[in-house]
Amino acid sequence: MDRKRIAGLLSSTTGLALTVGIAFVIVIILIFVLSKEPGRAIYYFFVGPFTKSYYFGNMLNQSIGLIFTGLGIAVAFRSSTFNLGGEGQAYAGAMAATVICLSLPSLTGIVGGTAAILGAIATGAFLAGLSGFFRMRWGTDQLISSFLISAAVILIVNYLVTGPLDDPTNSMLTTARIGQQYQFLRIFKPSKLDISIVFAVAAAIATYFFMQRSHWGYEMRMCGINREFSRYAGINVAKYLMVPMAISGGFHGLAGAVAVMGTHYRCLKGVTAGLGWNGIAVALIAKNNPVAVIPAALFFAYLDAGARAAMLHADVTFELAKIAQAVIFFLVTAQALYGFFTTRKRVAA
Amino acid sequence: MEGITKFFAASGVLANDAVDLVVEEGEIHAVIGENGAGKSTLMKLLYGLEHADAGEITFRGEKVAIKDPFVANRLGIGMVHQHFKLVSDFTVAENVVLGSEPRARGPFIDRRSAVRDVSKVIEEHGFSVDAKRKVQDLTVGQMQQVEIVKMLYRNAELLILDEPTSVLTEQEIESLFNTLKNLLGRGKTIILITHKLEEVMQMSDRVTVMRDGKVVAVRDTKDVDKRELSRLMVGRDILLEVDRKPPTYGDPVLELKDVTIRCRGQGRPLLDRISFQVRSGELVGIAGVGGNGLAEIEDVIGGLRRATSGRIFLHGEDVTALGPEPLREVGLAYVPADRLRRGASLPTTVRENCIVTKHHDFLRTGILQKRGIRAFTERLIEHFSIDAVEGMPAGNLSGGNIQKMILARELAAETDFILFSEPTWGLDIASSQFVYEKMLELRQRGAGVLLISSNLDEILGLADTVLIMYRGRIVGRLENTESLSKEIIGEYMLGLRDDSQSPSAVASAEGSRG
Ligand SMILES: Nc1ncnc2c1ncn2[C@@H]1O[C@H](COP(=O)(O)OP(=O)(O)OP(=O)(O)O)[C@@H](O)[C@H]1O
Ligand SMILES: [Mg+2]
Repeated sequence: MDRKRIAGLLSSTTGLALTVGIAFVIVIILIFVLSKEPGRAIYYFFVGPFTKSYYFGNMLNQSIGLIFTGLGIAVAFRSSTFNLGGEGQAYAGAMAATVICLSLPSLTGIVGGTAAILGAIATGAFLAGLSGFFRMRWGTDQLISSFLISAAVILIVNYLVTGPLDDPTNSMLTTARIGQQYQFLRIFKPSKLDISIVFAVAAAIATYFFMQRSHWGYEMRMCGINREFSRYAGINVAKYLMVPMAISGGFHGLAGAVAVMGTHYRCLKGVTAGLGWNGIAVALIAKNNPVAVIPAALFFAYLDAGARAAMLHADVTFELAKIAQAVIFFLVTAQALYGFFTTRKRVAA
Repeated sequence: MEGITKFFAASGVLANDAVDLVVEEGEIHAVIGENGAGKSTLMKLLYGLEHADAGEITFRGEKVAIKDPFVANRLGIGMVHQHFKLVSDFTVAENVVLGSEPRARGPFIDRRSAVRDVSKVIEEHGFSVDAKRKVQDLTVGQMQQVEIVKMLYRNAELLILDEPTSVLTEQEIESLFNTLKNLLGRGKTIILITHKLEEVMQMSDRVTVMRDGKVVAVRDTKDVDKRELSRLMVGRDILLEVDRKPPTYGDPVLELKDVTIRCRGQGRPLLDRISFQVRSGELVGIAGVGGNGLAEIEDVIGGLRRATSGRIFLHGEDVTALGPEPLREVGLAYVPADRLRRGASLPTTVRENCIVTKHHDFLRTGILQKRGIRAFTERLIEHFSIDAVEGMPAGNLSGGNIQKMILARELAAETDFILFSEPTWGLDIASSQFVYEKMLELRQRGAGVLLISSNLDEILGLADTVLIMYRGRIVGRLENTESLSKEIIGEYMLGLRDDSQSPSAVASAEGSRG
């Protein structure tokens, strides 16, 4: 690596570190103002996730979904396509996986599980691909169409969860539980961490190579950087308004399936809530680099786990925990977004 | 500027090596040198866009540290970049005031006074652009006027123009030069970078010659001639001369039949029943003033724009409805005029730029083969003597080297038809010569070559058949014989002559082609 690139990386990482630092300071101030035992609260907020293997495992488990959605967003953004519908795609994916598992109660885990995962991926891919198709066909704005489709899908899935697919034997708003054979292996008991984290890490590395070295990855990147150039050079530009969206949606659907099959074993109402939006933040922090998505997702999971631990062990209320999280979230995303847009502008100039 | 040194670690290039440049107040100072000699870098240092590793800048007797363009502006230094930096969906006025907007109240921009102030500058200097037009609707010549207005609006006293003439037609160049002389009369100082030695001779008072990042000579223009300048620049004699052997024509490789492009809501079609053919072994040149249909011909043949009516045949196949991808499969190579947006992807590596049109060849089971790609790119770099490293972003190449990279890529396709649009914009003499030789070599080999160019010397030097466009029509169709001159072509280009109106002329043109 050359000097300039290292310098660039340093300045962007120090910038990011600085932002995170400032965000942490604000959170500490907030806690001091609002908590009667600030020392304890701060301790659990920052160190809590590492105090018990249960917390630690759950934190890792949280990052799995974020890695998948973060990858989905990174692929889309790299290709200059825009997916704001991650929430709906993940939720629909969760529902699809649940339905498939429930309707195939007597298959083996491998066969039925694969079907459920593929079904979830296909569902997410279809929903996001639709926005891609609209843009390809009529030039519809992808940000808006993906968001609106997702908003509608969330309502439909909510209806299914609370209506026709509601499990009457249970007072929660949820579907019935999926069969034992479809539940992913837990690898760090008593926490909920399951085997899919291995696949998440593998997926990140595979996506990196896919984008850098594969035929489609190359063409997608070229389209993402300069569509005029790509079209001139004979790359099928229209196709790549849709393909990256479908891939992105597929990742979101997969995140939904993993939430059900790895953690909750049923499709609760709002089971994937937040995965879509946080995936965007994760991708932005990772600068759309698939491998960097892993630490970015871990960082987000850490924030969440810290807030939970502080809530359990100190007088931090749910609201304070959420506010603290939001402060960090906004500052970090704003910084990442700033970088995203300034490099974009430079590219355009 | 004294002892200016700049090293680019990324490319391992010492772009400026202890350069001294002295510009006197009130002169036009030309800076010349081959592609990659370090001219643009030196100017960027003066304008605060890059930072020197060593050296001092003294401006009007005072030592200054120009850390960014704002400082430069404050000092009264303005620059028009080799590649324009305008926001295309902003209006002229908005572009001009960008960065020093007149404020109304609080953070709001006072649009009305922006338009008024900008119009005043435009009027004062006799420019012809409308402050309220969007930049994307302007011709290249007008965009350049906007860039100049931008400097004047900021009260620049020292104007830096980096290759302002490479993208202009002869008429536009003339009007630019009138503007510059006018500005000189108002006491401005001008630094002019160019590859055209006539322009140096015609315009400048003094000239600094750069080679490989060093200044090799500073002369009073009246004491030198073109031959000496080119010798200083390249270290040997070089004059643009090509040896064009008599043509032998074969079958048509490209044929356009009544190709028309109509825009909704516009009276005059952009292309009006364009018919011509390019035969194997033939080099057809198309000349015209910007805005008369040259860009549309380029687009329609390149498959980037659909003809409203008419047919296009490439190698005998009807390709009217084909986009760039299938066209390239049928056998099209194409060097576009717009090298920065269309011809190259600046943030991506040279390597990825070089393979874009043939990356399929480097696939094995869907994976791009790195080793093959590297070797291919390095071959192009060497064969076309491009100043580049395969892994660096194309945007870090000098202007001329970006173009060389595009040329290398398109020539490597070895098709039997190739379209060149303004291939030598921004190229130095040696590289231009190299491109001309390549074009003639292709023609000799039996390929059909189509050259769209606003440079009449180029057309006269290379083409077998000359077509001249005016207002979307082909108004002249001439054999390139001894008797054909720039003046005659010029008259066609300005619409003073028009053969397409009289049927007999068309008939005789058709006859001569059979
Ligand atoms: N940002 C950069 N990073 C690395 N190398 C660079 C960068 N900018 C310029 N260079 C290198 O410095 C050298 C001089 O470039 P420069 O743009 O000054 O040339 P130039 O004289 O303007 O040429 P041209 O006539 O082609 O525009 C080139 O070899 C170029 O590759
Ligand atoms: Mg230059």
